Amino acid sequence: MDINTKILKKNAFRITKERYKTAIRIRVPGGEMAAKYLDTVKYVAETFGNGTIHITTRQGFEIPGIDIEKMAEVNAIIQSLIDGLEVNQTDSNAGYSAAGTRNVAACIGSRVCQFANFDTSAFAQRIEKVIFPNDYHVKIALTGCPNDCIKARMNDFGIIGMNEPQYDSYRCIGCQACVKACEKKSAGALKFENFKVVRHSDKCIGCGECVLKCPTGAWTRSSNKLYQLVIMGRTGRKNPRIAQPFIKWIDEASVLEIIKNTYAYVHNYIDKDAPGGKEHVGYIVDRTGYQVFKNWVLKDVILNPKAQVAEYIYW
Amino acid sequence: MAYKVTGIRFNQYLKELEKEYLIFAPVALLGKGAFTNTDSVRYQKITKLEEVELTIKANFSAKEILLPITETLFYFNEDNWTEPKVHDKKILLFLRSCDIHGIKRLDDIYLRNGCEDPYYKVFRKKVRFCLIECYESFANCFCASMGTNITDEYDMFIRPEGDYVYVGINNKEMGRLDEKVVDLSPRFVMQNKTKVSIPKELSKGLAQSVFWEEYSSRCIGCGRCSFVCPTCSCFSMQDIFYKENKNMGERRRVWSSCMVDGFTDMAGGHSFRKKQGDRMRFRVMHKFHDYKKRFGYHMCVGCGRCDDACPEYISIAHCANRLKSIVEEK
Amino acid sequence: MSNTYLPFKSRIIKIIPHTAIDYTFLMEYKGDVKPGQFFEVSIPKFGEAPISVSEIGEGYVGLTIRRVGLVTNTIHELQEGGVLFLRGPYGNGFNIDLFKSKEVIVAAGGTGLAPVKGVVDYFADNVHEVTVFSLIAGFKSPKDILYKADFEKWQRTINVIVTVDGSDDETYTGNTGLITNYIQDISIENQSMANVIVVGPPVMIRFTVAEFLKRGIREENIWVSYERKMCCGVGKCGHCKIDDTYICLEGPVFNYVKAKSFID
Ligand SMILES: Cc1cc2nc3c(=O)[nH]c(=O)nc-3n(C[C@H](O)[C@H](O)[C@H](O)COP(=O)(O)OP(=O)(O)OC[C@H]3O[C@@H](n4cnc5c(N)ncnc54)[C@H](O)[C@@H]3O)c2cc1C
Ligand code: SF4
Ligand code: SF4
Ligand code: FES
Repeated sequence: MDINTKILKKNAFRITKERYKTAIRIRVPGGEMAAKYLDTVKYVAETFGNGTIHITTRQGFEIPGIDIEKMAEVNAIIQSLIDGLEVNQTDSNAGYSAAGTRNVAACIGSRVCQFANFDTSAFAQRIEKVIFPNDYHVKIALTGCPNDCIKARMNDFGIIGMNEPQYDSYRCIGCQACVKACEKKSAGALKFENFKVVRHSDKCIGCGECVLKCPTGAWTRSSNKLYQLVIMGRTGRKNPRIAQPFIKWIDEASVLEIIKNTYAYVHNYIDKDAPGGKEHVGYIVDRTGYQVFKNWVLKDVILNPKAQVAEYIYW
Repeated sequence: MAYKVTGIRFNQYLKELEKEYLIFAPVALLGKGAFTNTDSVRYQKITKLEEVELTIKANFSAKEILLPITETLFYFNEDNWTEPKVHDKKILLFLRSCDIHGIKRLDDIYLRNGCEDPYYKVFRKKVRFCLIECYESFANCFCASMGTNITDEYDMFIRPEGDYVYVGINNKEMGRLDEKVVDLSPRFVMQNKTKVSIPKELSKGLAQSVFWEEYSSRCIGCGRCSFVCPTCSCFSMQDIFYKENKNMGERRRVWSSCMVDGFTDMAGGHSFRKKQGDRMRFRVMHKFHDYKKRFGYHMCVGCGRCDDACPEYISIAHCANRLKSIVEEK
Repeated sequence: MSNTYLPFKSRIIKIIPHTAIDYTFLMEYKGDVKPGQFFEVSIPKFGEAPISVSEIGEGYVGLTIRRVGLVTNTIHELQEGGVLFLRGPYGNGFNIDLFKSKEVIVAAGGTGLAPVKGVVDYFADNVHEVTVFSLIAGFKSPKDILYKADFEKWQRTINVIVTVDGSDDETYTGNTGLITNYIQDISIENQSMANVIVVGPPVMIRFTVAEFLKRGIREENIWVSYERKMCCGVGKCGHCKIDDTYICLEGPVFNYVKAKSFID
């Protein structure tokens, strides 16, 4: 058998332990899809694979035990799934057009979770639309609140939902439920003075705990949805580390611009001699330094006025 | 008597009323619910019928129009005080039958339990009711069980239908609309899915029953049940001085709740009803026993808002029915 | 319409310190008031506190105030000639007539003596209006004893027992031990007719009443005074309510027949 493994891998298949067998990774942007697409996954696993499915850390399905010869047939069958999940594609019926940029993952978000400050899956799907397909290795995850259930801080870009709480002192009855909750479970940003609550905005991490706790609705959510963008977290062999805050209180449009610019930055700075021509964005930032990265990705971005950019980052 | 008018004509009518009235109605505040992308329906000033949320139950009752959450009693300077100025307009309040009954309960506490409360009285004299009809009972409503599903104590009522609004006038003060006159009286809900029967003999013995202990482990003492209740009427006093000028300040009152810590705290660290179960007992007895002993009918109006709001899924309706079965077993 | 929440100014005529933390303030006041009633006393910008009337005289009332927190601390800083803000009097108070021509025993613990002091003053001055009048007053320690001058005066006309829970003051020669110990020995002439007033902290009330019941005093002849958190004093704020009873309206003085059924 003669097969170009580079093309195979780029097509979201993998070279496996077992010779002549492959496995395909199904992307589920935002980790959410209609249940009916499970039928396709099941069909592929039972008809072409070994009847099992592996659920990946990046919220996709990996279907192992497929004959390499059957790749084209599998690609034809998953077309309905690719269309249904609205994943961008260069050629129809040819499966996934790239594998470098990983599935954009999201916690369950505000469709279900009480804590979530935004609809994580919907935003993830909007990001996916902008960045996929692309061969550069970039990992992005979105999480509804600073609990970070998706572990966004282990990604190149972690997007954490923030909520800038709005206070109506007239509705406040001074029970201090918010003050106690903020102190115990969050940033300790609230103080009780003269029978009303004072918020220290420099300390506030926008978790939304005060809004959840207030029995009279004195605290409410801002209609303007904002995020904390944390960057360059990673696992792996070389220097695993957690992502650090890059921009606080940033809006969605700016996040999208910055991610787009990052691809241009990678294109410009990637080490052409890296093994396999692949270099992970985090290592590129290590080489160029944060300031170069920052200038590149913020080029022509008109940040929303509330956004606070970190001057320095030490990972 | 009722008129059939177009929606446009009705809004004109509201505009005319605005000369004399501040008009308050339930309004859906988008995104103002506790959870992301949820709304909160609260009482707000309105100018057009379209602003009024008529299809769902308001999360908070109309009581705050008569009993503001934070209310300044008077301002003081060095050694004198002034009472706050009250606007001279009347108030038109859009509300449902249960909430009209709720205000009757507030009247009992604020006008008939001891002396009259001057602040409440000022607002109360100004208020006129525009009844919102209920076609169908909402979740957790048990107004029929409490006898609050029907009222004739409204000054007007409305029934929007397509491009038209039927406007029933029950008080000459509300003026007239020179449109087609129809014979119409308001519709009321006659039964609810939730039915509550309150034991006649809620004795003190029952008050000491182990029954209440369950609530000590379930209730988190947040007070949501009280704050959404149209009949919970308690407040605390606060004195403050202004940061800018320590010689000036104000005395005010704010809503408070027997479910929340601190309600009975006294000097020397004494407090009563420390356990949530005891607080639940106190509130339930107040709503279904104590108040009736003073005023002849139950305080609870069965709007079901406490059951709607409790984050721990504690249901007062369920509690009352359980009490009933305990009493009957005895 | 008069606004019941608006206070009136009252001048401090005299301040009588009893202990480090208990002072009596004699305040200008003209108007009806009964012992056992209370005023909402305030200093604007700091807050209000319900305080019992401890003394009633021509053109003045006495307020015995213990410093325990923000408002009471601030009041203690005032000088004679200064001004306090009052509203009231509120509550039912003691009905003096009820005790006339009867045997009366008062048991008071600590500052509990304040609300009943007006009753003691009255009968100490008009001792012929009762058959017997006895006062048992208990304090924590010798330095907590209130109204020392009054005790000396009362001793001349009525039976007085003062006791302290304990003492490390060697110069103290008086009684020690809890009030309840003294109830066992006190002479009661007519158990079924004698009237008893018990005021003090909740625990003290409970045990003292139990002792009197053991001595054969009838429940309907026992009177107690309750303290509860109060914000309005006029039946609106709800803080003082026990069961279906508003302490500020129907109390703070209760007949024991009613009070015994209270469930907190
Ligand atoms: C009917 C009645 C009669 C009283 N008579 C006297 C008296 O004669 N002499 C006297 O010294 N004290 C009396 N008290 C107690 C007195 O009202 C409190 O000690 C006082 O309110 C404490 O206020 P503060 O601001 O100094 O303390 P704070 O700083 O307010 O607080 C200290 C503690 O007192 C509690 N407290 C606050 N307000 C009240 C209140 N209205 N009632 C009870 N506790 C409260 C607080 O919750 C806190 O736990 C009486 C109380 C009542 C209800
Ligand atoms: S939880 Fe709400 S009512 Fe309580 S102190 Fe905070 S803002 Fe005020
Ligand atoms: S809303 Fe529920 S949890 Fe909160 S105080 Fe009421 S019963 Fe307790
Ligand atoms: S003190 Fe407010 S109701 Fe009694």
